[in-house]
Amino acid sequence: MAVCIAVIAKENYPLYIRSIPTENELKFHYMVHTSLDVVDEKISALGKALVDQRELYLGLLYPTEDHKVYGYVTNSKVKFVMVVDSSNTALRDNEIRSMFRKLHNSYTDVMCNPFYNPGDRIHSRAFDSTVTSMMTQVC
Amino acid sequence: MSRPAQRRPGYPKINKDLFVLTYGALVAQLCKDYEKDEDVNKYLDNMGYSIGTRLVEDFLARSCVRRCHSYSEITGIIAQVAFKMYLGITPRVTCNNSSRNEFSLILEKNPLVEFVEELPPGRSALCYCNLLCGIIRGALEMVHLDADVTFLQDRLKGDSVTEIGITFLKKPEEKKYRRKK
Repeated sequence: MAVCIAVIAKENYPLYIRSIPTENELKFHYMVHTSLDVVDEKISALGKALVDQRELYLGLLYPTEDHKVYGYVTNSKVKFVMVVDSSNTALRDNEIRSMFRKLHNSYTDVMCNPFYNPGDRIHSRAFDSTVTSMMTQVC
Repeated sequence: MSRPAQRRPGYPKINKDLFVLTYGALVAQLCKDYEKDEDVNKYLDNMGYSIGTRLVEDFLARSCVRRCHSYSEITGIIAQVAFKMYLGITPRVTCNNSSRNEFSLILEKNPLVEFVEELPPGRSALCYCNLLCGIIRGALEMVHLDADVTFLQDRLKGDSVTEIGITFLKKPEEKKYRRKK
């Protein structure tokens, strides 16, 4: 259902980015890159409220002609960005939210791996398969 | 001494994730310090040995087990009481040979490897949980039993279960006579 999923570190460099291979990969990289500004804007706009409410899901960052970009920020300022096809109207806000939560859980497992150095690119097989399942799931 | 009296009836609990992460950090640091897997394994075993020689006192004080009369009884106690007490799991015990001095503890689930997906690249000979072997060896030595404890199978290396092999090297009777002299 998602066409591109990216994990961005606190310092705004990519830890993990994957998109469906059929389309131009660079386009998605641009899209994710652009979305980071919106993420920053949303975080600073929410300011303290974000910390208090513990609402990590940022909602729709911006729509383009054929895609929608959603964002999610962990408490440690790691960003998850997901691009979905806008023709896919069956995807509700709640589903996106639960997908992000699943992604966050999987990311936590990666971080807990003693052989993973925080800040490195993610090469975990389990994380890969979570992402794959999110990208292939038909809706 | 006043120590046992101070201890609360229930065992003090520590958060499992904290424990597992601490062990993971320990192994990861050893992997940084030593290039060869054998050295890491040896170091883990030595550390476990030091732990085991001390832990056995704690174990005997808490568990109130009786004297064991056979190797299989000893292995059973290790699996059903010691592992249960310290790791919260109960491994299966199997006996491999006819002279009944080689046993295997089969761990279906190993809490220590919960977060480890696979061994890091180039570290295929690493025994991640070698500390356990050292602990068992150290503890047995303190009750006058020489044993050889190694990993026979490891889930992290692609086996279906984790298997710790314990080989007792001498008969307990011989030891008993020696002490009487």
